[in-house]
Amino acid sequence: MVKKMTIQYNHQSENHTRRSILRNTGFGLGAVACHSLLGEKTTSGETPTRSADLPNFPPKVKRVIFLCMAGGPSHLETFDEKPELAKQDGLAMPASYTAGQPIAQLQGKELKCQGPLTKFGRYGESGQVISDFLPYHQRMADDLCVIRSMVTEQINHDPAHTFLNTGTAISGRPSMGSWVTYGLGSESKELPGFVVLTSVGGRNPQPIASRQWSSGFLPSLYQGVEFNGSGPPVNYVTPPNGVTDSRQRKLIDTIGELNRRRYATTQDPEIETRIATYEMAFRMQKSVPQLADFSDEPQHVLDLYGAKPGDGSYASNCLLARRLAERGVRFIQLYHRGWDHHGGLKQYMKVCCGLTDQPTWALIQDLKQRKMLDETLIVWGGEFGRTPMYQGKGGAGRDHHIKGFSMWIAGGGVKGGYSHGATDELGYHAVEDVVHVRDLHATMLHLLGIDHQRFTHPYQGLDMRLTGVEPAKVIDSILT
Amino acid sequence: MKPNLASTAFTFFLGLLMTSASADETIDFNQQIRPILSNACFACHGPDSLNRKADLRLDDEASAHQVITPNRHQNSDLFLRISSGDPELLMPPPDSGKILTDAQINLIAKWIDLGAQYETHWSYQKTKQEKPSQHFGNWSKDPIDDYLRTRHKNDSLKPAMEADRRTLIRRLTLDLTGLPPTLEEIDRFVNDEHPTAYRKLVDRLLASPAYGERMAIQWLDLVRYADTVGYHGDQDHNISPYRDYVIDSLVQDRPINQFSTQQIAGDLLPNASIDDEIASGYNRLLQTSHEGGVQVDEYLSIYAADRIRNFSNVWMGATIGCAQCHDHKYDPYTIKDFYSLVAFFADIDEEDHFAVGSNSLPTKRPPEISVLAPWQQARVDQLNAEIAKIESNDEERGIENKLTEKHLSLTAERQRLLNQKRLTMVTKTKSARSIRILPRGDWLDKSGPLVMPEVPEFLPQIQSDRDRANRLDLANWLFDRDDGIGQLTARVFANRYWQMMYGQGISPSLADFGGQGEPPNHPDLLDHLANFLNETQWSTKRFLRRLALTRSYRQSSHIETGTVSSDPRNLLFARQSRYRLPAELVRDAALSISQLISHELGGKSVKPHQPTGYYRHLNFPKRVYVPDRGSDQYRRGLYVHWQRQFLHPMLKAMDAPSREECVALRSVSNTPLEALVMLNDASMVEAAAALASRIIREYLDDDKQRIQFAFELATARRADSKEVTILEELLHDQRDHYAKHADEAATLVAAIQGDSVSNQKQIAEIASWTGVARAILNLHETVTRN
Repeated sequence: MVKKMTIQYNHQSENHTRRSILRNTGFGLGAVACHSLLGEKTTSGETPTRSADLPNFPPKVKRVIFLCMAGGPSHLETFDEKPELAKQDGLAMPASYTAGQPIAQLQGKELKCQGPLTKFGRYGESGQVISDFLPYHQRMADDLCVIRSMVTEQINHDPAHTFLNTGTAISGRPSMGSWVTYGLGSESKELPGFVVLTSVGGRNPQPIASRQWSSGFLPSLYQGVEFNGSGPPVNYVTPPNGVTDSRQRKLIDTIGELNRRRYATTQDPEIETRIATYEMAFRMQKSVPQLADFSDEPQHVLDLYGAKPGDGSYASNCLLARRLAERGVRFIQLYHRGWDHHGGLKQYMKVCCGLTDQPTWALIQDLKQRKMLDETLIVWGGEFGRTPMYQGKGGAGRDHHIKGFSMWIAGGGVKGGYSHGATDELGYHAVEDVVHVRDLHATMLHLLGIDHQRFTHPYQGLDMRLTGVEPAKVIDSILT
Repeated sequence: MKPNLASTAFTFFLGLLMTSASADETIDFNQQIRPILSNACFACHGPDSLNRKADLRLDDEASAHQVITPNRHQNSDLFLRISSGDPELLMPPPDSGKILTDAQINLIAKWIDLGAQYETHWSYQKTKQEKPSQHFGNWSKDPIDDYLRTRHKNDSLKPAMEADRRTLIRRLTLDLTGLPPTLEEIDRFVNDEHPTAYRKLVDRLLASPAYGERMAIQWLDLVRYADTVGYHGDQDHNISPYRDYVIDSLVQDRPINQFSTQQIAGDLLPNASIDDEIASGYNRLLQTSHEGGVQVDEYLSIYAADRIRNFSNVWMGATIGCAQCHDHKYDPYTIKDFYSLVAFFADIDEEDHFAVGSNSLPTKRPPEISVLAPWQQARVDQLNAEIAKIESNDEERGIENKLTEKHLSLTAERQRLLNQKRLTMVTKTKSARSIRILPRGDWLDKSGPLVMPEVPEFLPQIQSDRDRANRLDLANWLFDRDDGIGQLTARVFANRYWQMMYGQGISPSLADFGGQGEPPNHPDLLDHLANFLNETQWSTKRFLRRLALTRSYRQSSHIETGTVSSDPRNLLFARQSRYRLPAELVRDAALSISQLISHELGGKSVKPHQPTGYYRHLNFPKRVYVPDRGSDQYRRGLYVHWQRQFLHPMLKAMDAPSREECVALRSVSNTPLEALVMLNDASMVEAAAALASRIIREYLDDDKQRIQFAFELATARRADSKEVTILEELLHDQRDHYAKHADEAATLVAAIQGDSVSNQKQIAEIASWTGVARAILNLHETVTRN
């Protein structure tokens, strides 16, 4: 439901508004006047406006690749080394840390410290602290800006993902990819601006809802489009069996011709839009299979990622992400599930890191070689971290934890080989330079040239923002 | 905003802005001033006591007069601050991102000069009984037309001409039954010269069971009806009988007040019927989580907020959900009001599932009862009576043998029906848990005071003789015109029904009648309609019938040259609206045109074809999607299994909501994804193939006639000769191609035709016509209501 206020509070002229809309469609449709491509009530015959003309200032990056490690990877076995926790291994977790704090599966259980289950080292010129689970990350230590003081507000997977994506746990709000595409549009004429990739492999994964890439109250044009690792790359992109491309082309031509005739009688601008969307659909039908076909990639590139075409793996998705980035897609989100290690943490970390460590490194190297890293923001992290406390569902593990965890970002406008923030000595609370999910959103928008406070959309009487109403700040100290 | 005399220095440009208020000028506070103040000022100078700045309320007349000197804008700090040239003094502050235009500042100055009169917010006022000021004898068919036409006159708008009969029957049939008219229906109406033809058409459609199915869609969006729990594992839950109850209620024209009371408080009604119990499933429609490790108190608070958001949206047109963490920023709802409303629902069990709601499909969400659809139950009751009669007759005559053919067949039918019982979640009141105000909405903070069930303080209060007001009191209060908020509720419903028939609400903000919503563009008409709902004992059918019979409804949707610029949003209804059909109806239209459609009413939800692997991200448990076979594959769109996390991608592409939250108005998009669905979705292709067979079956050997036939089925009009030629060209092209590529034809026909067609020529012909049928089903006109 998209609502438009009757009263305009800015001085944008009609023409000005129209221009920004054309430039900012989620698909690059060219110069077609199309209100309802944007999902407005067509009956209103009115075009939506954003509250600000974007970008607000020169952007540092053109696009975002968000590597979502779904399930919540342990900060205590990746980037946050805690010698004191090792010392207190097996001892009772001091109640001063946990009293009155939210808690998930360990509710009512005895709480005791679990020391780190791996070793850490210092890598690169920067001496970035990285665990032994991530040997390829060690090799790119100087590319990474590790944030060791993340906090979020939701302790269960589903709402925590919703929070990470939309800034709230309430359903029906747009995800960050939709916001960004809504603001900046897509640079591609044949691909959507917001693409979601999910990988297979690993242990029994947590579910992930399509709400995570929903456009919420924004026009549905901006919803994330899911690419499939196997089968047709995008749902409905393949013509029916027995219908060749040339037949499909002829069909679309006929539909277009009849629609144009109807337009001549009714002058309904929706018809123009529909003609354009059918053309776009045909272009997608042609280009998406090419995009997903890796046969033009040399073997050494496949090897760099460890990708086997068509396997639906995280490695293949990282390569696909690069190909999408090259073609102008604005927001690419990869989900790799399986990081929910309530037990058997050591064993499953090996599995998850084994599947993701090298491809992540390869993506960064590949983008760097193609001079694209400087114009891309890479974000790596999960919906929360894990408790310093022991949980033992099949060997030592850790429960969900929201009061302090790690993420990293890399790419244009971000300091590489940089460390930001810290948790306390047991790795429980973020205590230094705390970064809230909202701050991450604000920083991401900033790098894209968007002032998060001015980037609003009216809904239910409020000027809604990705960063919401609570304070949010750009993390200046990590920017170049 | 503190009164500041220094600001007078910055009013140097007043002369440029101001025109003095002339004596005959009037300004409507609610229409013109309140929206400006609400959007620009109330966030800091409004109802929210916690975040209020300078202890100034501009939503409250007494407080506002600290900064307003009536009749003298130049002595009013309000004016001086909003027009100040000093960024330090300017209101709203530049960093708020809010800017008042010169026209708005000017308007506020005029309003001050005219006395700065405040007025109760429009939706909280009693409904007025203003008659239309003019009567347009020849044109009007109903006072509704006079209300609209009076305004048209003032705005120099001309009403559109009446739509032609083919457009009318298609529009009406789609609006009231969600289906395109059949050729026989079109024919009968177009050739019916009798003056009552149109009225008879309306009545026929309102009496159809399909009417209930059509109208149910909007209600199901509002109450967020879905087949799955929504969070985490998104397991199925048992609720489809509730959907059938909604359809039945609409078909029976159950009064809206009764319909609502059953849903909010069916379990509290004396001698609750099975319908009352099923209806009370409304309270269970919220999203629940069955994830391991949820914190009970946290989720109870999430559920409580979910309920209040929905309840207030659906019945009050209010966004009280905003008051979960703080007083509402724009409307007079306080955080205490929010939690006091929560207390009404504190007797509903939503804790049981934390213990027993496993990852099974369906999961368990007690309490649940096993029931039949209302029409099935009615038949069982009838059968029981007939069987009893036979048995008592037998007894009278001293016959032991009940195994007569009649008796056998009746008992068998009864058994068949009873075997179709389904579980459905219901509400059963239990002792209420205590509810406290959660400061900032934080469920961990137990420091807030306990509250009792109470309606918002600024509204009329419930007079209950119970110690503790309950949901039944709440429902009665919603519909009590004298001692409750019945007049507001009536406006909310009238406005939504209006939108269904005109494409735009009288107030365009269907779910927000607060300060940030758009006030009604015809307030007197909305009041008149609200009163009418009350006079007709809350009858939906009588309401819709009246709207359908107006002159205004029958207008063409064609935009006359000149009207676009003066009323692009069609707020004044000087024409009808045109828009793409809702998702379910796009499906229904294709199935109906191709005659594949099953008209079976109600029952369990169904699973049409869906792209393989679409549910692969679901887990706990993993999901295997098995499409239904046989006629269940061709059921209407509203029966499609509603998986909240992965709604069927065809419905999703056409803007059907996930039903996680209340949706009063769907967006209507027009995207490439939608085009891909229309072109390539298996159900759409199958419908095209079925239409191709139908064309060949019903019209022998005349291509032009066949094309006309299919075109008229889809659009209700005759194609012009050029359109026929274009489709003929496609047909020839297809024929040429498939004559050479028999294998492709065989693949296309085999993949979609269940039955085997062995004759190769026949196969090529069906394949060729399938192409034509796909073109027709994909036309903008086919999926558009106009």
